[in-house]
Amino acid sequence: MFKNYFLVAVRTLRRNLGYTMLNVIGLALGITCSLLLFLVIRHELSYDTFHSKADRIYRINVDKITANGPEDNAGTPFPMLATIKASLPELSPATHLYNAEGGTFTIVSNNDRVPAKKFREEKNVLFVEPAFFDLFDFPTNGVNAKQALKDVNTVLLTQTIADRFFPGENPVGKVLRMDNVVNLKVTGVIPDAPENTDLPYVMLIDYESSKKINTFMNDTWNSTNSNQQVYFAMAPEASVKQAEDRLNQITSKYRRISPGEQERYTFQPITQVHFDERYGNFTGRTISKTTLWALGLIGMFLVLVASINFVNLATAQALRRAKEVGMRKVLGASKPQLMTQFLCETGLITLVALLLSVVFAELLLPFLNQLLELQISFSILRDAQMLLFLLVVLVAVTFFAGFYPALVISGFQPISALKSKVATARVAGLSLRRTLVVVQFTICQVLIICTIIVHNQMEYFRSASLGFDQEAIVNIPVPAGKAGDLMALRSQLESHSAVKATSFAIAPPSANIDMNSSFQYDDFSVNRNFSVNLKLADENYLKTFGIPLLAGRMYEKSDTMQEFVVNETFLEKVGVKDPQEAVGKKLLVNGGQTEGKIVGVVKDYHLSSLRNEIPPVVMSTMTQVYFYLNAKIEQKNAKAALAHLQNVWQTAYPDDVFYYEFFDDSLARFYEEEQRQAHLFKVFSFIAIVIGCLGLYGLVSFMVAQRTKEVGVRKVLGASSASIVGLFSADFVKLVLIAFVIAGPISYYFMDKWLQDFTYRIDIGYWVFLAAGALTLFIALTTVSVQALRAAFSNPVRALKTE
Amino acid sequence: MLKTVNLQKKYTTDEVETTALVNVNLNVRQGEFVAIMGPSGCGKSTLLNIIGLLDNPTSGEFFFLEKEISKFSERQRANLRKEHLGFVFQSFNLIDELTVYENVELPLIYLKVSNAERKQRVEQVLEQMQIAHRRNHFPQQLSGGQQQRVAIARAVVSKPKLLLADEPTGNLDSAHGQEVMQLLSSLNEQGTTIVMVTHSPTDADYAHRIVNLFDGQIISENVKELAIL
Ligand SMILES: Nc1ncnc2c1ncn2[C@@H]1O[C@H](COP(=O)(O)OP(=O)(O)OP(=O)(O)O)[C@@H](O)[C@H]1O
Ligand SMILES: [Mg+2]
Repeated sequence: MFKNYFLVAVRTLRRNLGYTMLNVIGLALGITCSLLLFLVIRHELSYDTFHSKADRIYRINVDKITANGPEDNAGTPFPMLATIKASLPELSPATHLYNAEGGTFTIVSNNDRVPAKKFREEKNVLFVEPAFFDLFDFPTNGVNAKQALKDVNTVLLTQTIADRFFPGENPVGKVLRMDNVVNLKVTGVIPDAPENTDLPYVMLIDYESSKKINTFMNDTWNSTNSNQQVYFAMAPEASVKQAEDRLNQITSKYRRISPGEQERYTFQPITQVHFDERYGNFTGRTISKTTLWALGLIGMFLVLVASINFVNLATAQALRRAKEVGMRKVLGASKPQLMTQFLCETGLITLVALLLSVVFAELLLPFLNQLLELQISFSILRDAQMLLFLLVVLVAVTFFAGFYPALVISGFQPISALKSKVATARVAGLSLRRTLVVVQFTICQVLIICTIIVHNQMEYFRSASLGFDQEAIVNIPVPAGKAGDLMALRSQLESHSAVKATSFAIAPPSANIDMNSSFQYDDFSVNRNFSVNLKLADENYLKTFGIPLLAGRMYEKSDTMQEFVVNETFLEKVGVKDPQEAVGKKLLVNGGQTEGKIVGVVKDYHLSSLRNEIPPVVMSTMTQVYFYLNAKIEQKNAKAALAHLQNVWQTAYPDDVFYYEFFDDSLARFYEEEQRQAHLFKVFSFIAIVIGCLGLYGLVSFMVAQRTKEVGVRKVLGASSASIVGLFSADFVKLVLIAFVIAGPISYYFMDKWLQDFTYRIDIGYWVFLAAGALTLFIALTTVSVQALRAAFSNPVRALKTE
Repeated sequence: MLKTVNLQKKYTTDEVETTALVNVNLNVRQGEFVAIMGPSGCGKSTLLNIIGLLDNPTSGEFFFLEKEISKFSERQRANLRKEHLGFVFQSFNLIDELTVYENVELPLIYLKVSNAERKQRVEQVLEQMQIAHRRNHFPQQLSGGQQQRVAIARAVVSKPKLLLADEPTGNLDSAHGQEVMQLLSSLNEQGTTIVMVTHSPTDADYAHRIVNLFDGQIISENVKELAIL
């Protein structure tokens, strides 16, 4: 029986090759996308789920409410861990993690004649306690990692780093010097950190050593740093809520909080760390569950659009099968038997599409990985989840795409089917097909609208004025606490003609470095319930970044805080209208330790990404905390300028590794995640449109074929070609318009929500909708016209002969 | 074998009501060869379709193999069809995607006949219809007469008790038509009951009895002396 079904299916499909190809390619495209999205979603959901205690590991976060709005992060004061160990025994094991982000590593050689090799690591240098290995299950490849990091001044290298630092050698026992301050003995080599962790590391260093690197961290309750985090496992039966309350009782005794501020320490399950952008993580990348849902929906939509093609084409084709169905019924085939037959046929097409899409997915995965900067791979046969996914897709698509056509076809009355008298309209399920086409158009339009809006917001990010120059500026880190060494060589730095200006500062204008301070303004009598953002930079800062002053002047050169410059928001917050009025007023900052005069007011500029508002800023000098040399250079002589800067820099810091980044590149990184999402949207909506067009093309060619005779008659009666194209197009124009009315509000709702995440955002103009509608209309009409024109220009006599 | 009592068939569409059959009482005995004749539109095909369980009468009774089956469900009728009935149509109605062999095999597949037996029965009936040498051809590659022989092979391969033929020679030239009629006649001699609709008096000559239909009513029956014996 099935052999017979199979034979008929294969022969029918081969005979209608065009139709088969449309279906297979459409389905394969849809399934490929859903497969790729499945891989992406699965990857994102797998972050840190591989630890055996994953369901009870937590991170301590803090939710702060300040007058500037909520400030959530994952930084904890240093003494907190000791307190937990003493008072909350159910939180065990617990460990500090310190992410040094980058560092300079010198291979200490005991041979003086061999020059020391130096390496710069930009990120993921992680300091951990031995308990780290009790808590997490990272691969160690048999190395007793806990033992290896028991002593101070020890380091475990990952394989990649071991190969880079010590090519062809056994690194164990060798000594690395970090940032020229601490010697670390290599005690082992472990595999690279897995891709799916939010605790990525290139090496693991014993936690004690971090105190020499992280000089800002002191042993008080009032200093926190978001790179200093605490993870712990909760005892299986313990209550999270109770433990949180107890911890907050304890911390509230020690923490000093500005008036009007509130804070609460909360426990975040490790499995949520990847999805909550409020607290971030060491990868610098989070993805919201909403985004994952959106991706999943897009995957489903693409399969849906392809399945709709199938339903449309198959029902349109049903007439061709009438004779066969009639005869099978005469021979005693039952309706369920016929349904089975046609479902099998759909299943066969789906299976072919499925196999094709596995091949496509293999081919496209490298591009997707590149786009998303991920390293996803799959080996279909060993991947049970994947096979299950494919099976589900196979069954779902077969039923979704095949059920209705099978129902229609198997429902033919044998006598009328044999007489080819099955009413066209009924068979073709005209209203159903219209509905399905509307669904397709709606999905396409929603995707187009979303893509345009996401794209516009990205363009806005790129082009919005941030209030400072970003072109041709390089940011060069200087070793912590040693900015003075290079500042002494300033005249030398600026001696090159391609170096226009230089400024030392804690950070460039927009960077994720915040120093908050309470303050007192003017007569010190009013208690303000908000803190200010201290921006510490030298006197050349405004000039280098082209930030204009509104009143007064820039402060004078100084190594410590003497004079202040404030921004517009600051004035607004303290209630001063005229910038001139603020000049000369007294200001107290830094926990009441520093008093000085405001000498100038600067125009507002952005301190971080456009997601955030501009906070009140107080600028002043403090050489000790300058981490960056920012240099404005001549774009066309960038190479020479950089070489010169490196030269001078190296004179000041002979033991360190020079590196730099162009400012506009680092700014672009703020929106990396959004950029990626924008790319995804673009790619997938493009594919949705392609699939939709395939279906439309097939449907119209079928309609045209069916109405060849009608077209012939009309032409004989004098109809013009244009009016015949119009005949076919009018219907589709209506459908596009209906879809437009549905798609508009849906996409407005979602995009409005999405935009709410950004403080600075575009307005959704009505033209976006018009453009999307026009685009869909254009695509639909082009597809329809190509076919309709063929009919219109055909010879009417020939058309009439085809009976 | 089959008997109709006051069989009526009305087609009702939106505007018109057509009475295709009026009080038809027909009795066909085992082994008979009956021809139904009459002008176009008089209800011959309608009657044949009802007898063939492809259609339901509007009223009246229909006994097939001693059972009253006018109220049978679609499923029950499908089962009766595949076990006891064979059909031959004017337009052959072979399935284009199947070869001669596969077309003939199809009824046996629906009857769930075993593989080996199927092969043997198909081969045998192809020989009998003198079409075995074309077993791997597709219908479009055959002449009309050949196609009709395949259709007959398909109709009789399941050894039906009753063979129904609606103008089996209608699409054939007279030489091929006679060939087909001789095949039917020899099948009848081997025991198959046949009811055939035809416009051709020559074809009708092969039958034992001719039923004349006019405006949905049986107006006369001619029994050939030879057949009465
Ligand atoms: N599906 C139908 N709906 C409505 N009327 C029908 C239908 N089928 C047949 N009729 C009508 O019933 C009557 C009998 O039709 P039938 O096909 O049985 O005629 P026939 O004797 O076989 O004619 P012919 O010799 O041309 O094949 C005709 O008047 C026809 O119009
Ligand atoms: Mg007829």
